[in-house]
Amino acid sequence: MQFGMIIDINRCVGCHACVIACKAEWEVPAQFNRNWVHRLGPSMTSAGMAYTYYPGLCNHCADPPCVPVCPADPVRMTMRDARSGKTVTMEVSATWRDPFNGTVQIDTARCIGCGACRDACPYDARYINEALADETSLGKADKCTYCMPRVAEGLEPSCVQTCLARARIFGDLDDPDSEPSQYVKKGAVGLTSDAVQIGPHGLYFGSKKADMELLMQSAPQEMPVVSLRRGLMTKMSLTAKNQVKELGLLGLAGGLLIKSLQDDKKDKE
Amino acid sequence: MARHLTRRSFLKAASIAAASVPLSKIAAQAQPGVVRAPLAAPGTFKNTQTVVGGLCEMCFWRCQMVGKIRDGRLIKLEGNPKSIDNESALCARGNAGVKMLYDPDRLKYPMRNVGSRGAPKWQRISWEEALDTCAEKLKAVIDRDGVQSVCMFPHGSSSRYPNQFFQRTVGTPNISESSFYQCRGVRDLAYMVTTEIPPNEDVDMANAKVIFLLGCHFGENIHLSHVKQYVRGLENGAKLVVVDPRYSASAAKSHIWVPIRPGTDTALLLAIMNYLIQNDKYDIDFVERYGEGFEDMAEGIKEWTLEKAAEECDIPAAQIKEVADLLAAHMPHVAIHPGRFSTWYGNDFQRGRALACLTGILGAFGAKGSFVSAQNPRGITNIRWPMGDEQVDSLQRILDVHHFTPPGTPTELIRDAALTGDPFPIKACVIWGQNLIQTLPNQARTIKMLEQMDFVMCVDIMPTDITMFADILLPDCSYLECYNQIKTGTQWDLAEKHQQFITARMPVAPPGFERRDNVWITNEIAKRLGYGDKIPAQTQEELNDKMLAGAGLSLAQLRAEGGIHIQPGVDDPYGLDDDFIVHFFSDDLDWDGYPPIPTYIPVPRAPEGYYRLLAGRSPLHTFNRTQNNSWLMAENDTNPVWVNDKLAARLGLKDGDEVSLVNQDGIESRTTTTVKVTPGIREDAVYMYHGFGSMSPDLSIGYNKGVDSQSLITKLAVDPETGTHALRNNFVKLVKIS
Repeated sequence: MQFGMIIDINRCVGCHACVIACKAEWEVPAQFNRNWVHRLGPSMTSAGMAYTYYPGLCNHCADPPCVPVCPADPVRMTMRDARSGKTVTMEVSATWRDPFNGTVQIDTARCIGCGACRDACPYDARYINEALADETSLGKADKCTYCMPRVAEGLEPSCVQTCLARARIFGDLDDPDSEPSQYVKKGAVGLTSDAVQIGPHGLYFGSKKADMELLMQSAPQEMPVVSLRRGLMTKMSLTAKNQVKELGLLGLAGGLLIKSLQDDKKDKE
Repeated sequence: MARHLTRRSFLKAASIAAASVPLSKIAAQAQPGVVRAPLAAPGTFKNTQTVVGGLCEMCFWRCQMVGKIRDGRLIKLEGNPKSIDNESALCARGNAGVKMLYDPDRLKYPMRNVGSRGAPKWQRISWEEALDTCAEKLKAVIDRDGVQSVCMFPHGSSSRYPNQFFQRTVGTPNISESSFYQCRGVRDLAYMVTTEIPPNEDVDMANAKVIFLLGCHFGENIHLSHVKQYVRGLENGAKLVVVDPRYSASAAKSHIWVPIRPGTDTALLLAIMNYLIQNDKYDIDFVERYGEGFEDMAEGIKEWTLEKAAEECDIPAAQIKEVADLLAAHMPHVAIHPGRFSTWYGNDFQRGRALACLTGILGAFGAKGSFVSAQNPRGITNIRWPMGDEQVDSLQRILDVHHFTPPGTPTELIRDAALTGDPFPIKACVIWGQNLIQTLPNQARTIKMLEQMDFVMCVDIMPTDITMFADILLPDCSYLECYNQIKTGTQWDLAEKHQQFITARMPVAPPGFERRDNVWITNEIAKRLGYGDKIPAQTQEELNDKMLAGAGLSLAQLRAEGGIHIQPGVDDPYGLDDDFIVHFFSDDLDWDGYPPIPTYIPVPRAPEGYYRLLAGRSPLHTFNRTQNNSWLMAENDTNPVWVNDKLAARLGLKDGDEVSLVNQDGIESRTTTTVKVTPGIREDAVYMYHGFGSMSPDLSIGYNKGVDSQSLITKLAVDPETGTHALRNNFVKLVKIS
């Protein structure tokens, strides 16, 4: 199974509802986005005037460059396929590609916020929310999850649910009968270029040549180069910070703990 | 420390002593029990309460919603799954309603302006004091100068009940609503005069063979179910014709884009009609059965050859012929859109007439895929304020002008009377949900009008520009916190199972702070003015229950039905009443001395070095209403000015240059914006989103973002038949800042 998202730009009217619905669903801070709509044009193309939209989101790529750059300490994780009940145990850092549904996910708890994955993504699909920095991280990476928690409950991704034009079609690209697969047969394509061929599963369909030409100009033209040094430096700096902290932050931290205990008590009541 | 330390025991330990233990080590050991702030949001679909009955008013299409509540707080709005209108969808603005609800800049308490109008200093006061002051000041003006000395500027659901009170019971005719006089009123009247039915936007686009849009730009304008009809029509293979000086979102999906010279639309429509008539390419049977005065019109528009219109409209004659032939080939299944925002050039009534007449000669009323009046549910009881004893003639009647006005009084007549005292003084002003600074052209005149008032009161949810001019400012409930609207309709695609719906707005969150609903505020003022015995409903719930009773419903019943009552629709949505009529020649217009057949009235063109200022919509905003919404502003917080690429090259402007705008009267924009260089606009016009550049510093996000296009509209033009304002007859030049 491989989840994927078709964007039908014939239908898309550029209303940006997908962006805002996602913000509400996942409490994305106003200045960040898990998905986006770029308004393109009006511009002249070889096929005439075009004015269209690039509704983008994490492409949950077949070969995601964000995964191998993660420097977080790997753990063994057992993943279970909800449908077949099969399990696979893998060694993963704080981000990985799900072996069953092909989506790329993040374990926020173990993310150290170094930003390597964000920098590695040619589609700029990730952000670091520095407001979530804690003693083990500089913040937390975040991005589209294809709304896996919603999908697990039988719901559509939030952006799909709110789309008035039914321009977003989500489903299994491995299933030849799925609606996304029909679009692939009709010619839906990912935003790839000579240098960027990482198997995006967000695919775009438009029947106007001018629109597609303009849209394809948004395809990234080069793979970002991410130094692994950066992740290591982050880990080192966090360790150093924690050593400093140990010298007397009990007052502050103890206060936080007491608050959490009070909240805990409230929950129980 | 114990290895399996619980939080509770750690608390004990920590509070007793352990002062020197390094925390991180404890935390590490205690890990299983340590509560951390949730790093990943849980989503809104689980462990939330769903509240039904939401009826959106981020714009005025009023989509049906449910609210997701967690810990007493609204966290998300979604389309009501029961809706047969917007269904599960909401637009960006609808989704962002959450941020409006909890906007920290919102009005919270009644306030008195202890500074001056325009430079307010706010002092929080009690409701008692606020209401007493409003009533006392209104009464003083009425007692001295009569009820006609009060004017009102309402807008939106909340204003309907007070609007009726002031108009019917108090008796002032001086009420001017921007949705009519600066938006769609001229279209309404043009269709009413031509076909005797209100047009709304009743075009069956989903089932049309051709969709003809003149100035409509779906994608920028997101009226949700309407845009669904349009998208489905295109998917079903409809040909799309878009007439627009700009390559709009709709032009981008069109088969034929007609980049018309601004102001000349009626000439185009007359030429299309003339060509169709001359070549017998019109619906002769329909015209014979339903038409009146067709021969007069045919004779009167003969001069409008393709070539003459081509010259006037600055488009090829062949393109006009192509459009006309396309319409004829598919009549009557052509959706000629009546438009919505239609106060453009001051010749707008005639354009509306021409659109309706073109629809008529194509037989495109009542047929599948054409103009089809909505068959909405009936039975909602009209609970209204009773008529008062005193009836005063309206300004248009006294002055014997604008004989075809939409409800209320033309705004310019009110401003004129207020500024001159002729034919009577206007000294008290009630503003309810309308931001006059952004809705009315010539802000200086609006401000002068307000300055000469004895009293100005304002009811709103946000500290918009106009609230700066209030003496008393009252905090209204937003659409998420009250009951103030009933909406009826049908399923959005006429080809689907015929159903009707009735829904009423119900709160999805309690009103915060000291906000009060429109019924309460109005009733309290009414009591103080001595109209307590005329009050039609004591509470908003009672008002809605009384209205719903006529349809056999109640708020409780609607709530039990998931917020929306659905019932079978009519058997056949198509067809026309036997007495349906198209007045190609209008005796009524003739009688009052207006052109009786659709007539093209040229408007001034841009002076040398200036360009016509066109303003439109961002899909992320409802003009100024949404300008402080943190989600929407994060997505779109400015309004670049579109400049044709060839023109930009001549002017030495590059994409992204910062500019200010100066109009033909020397008025300069208070703020600056950037240039968007594009081939997608004519060289004689520039374009920007309307609604930006708020002047109210209390809008901490929206203040001074982008340019206020309305501030550049100083030269007035008024449509003679309807008294509606023209908002596209001003010209600007661009001054490069950097």
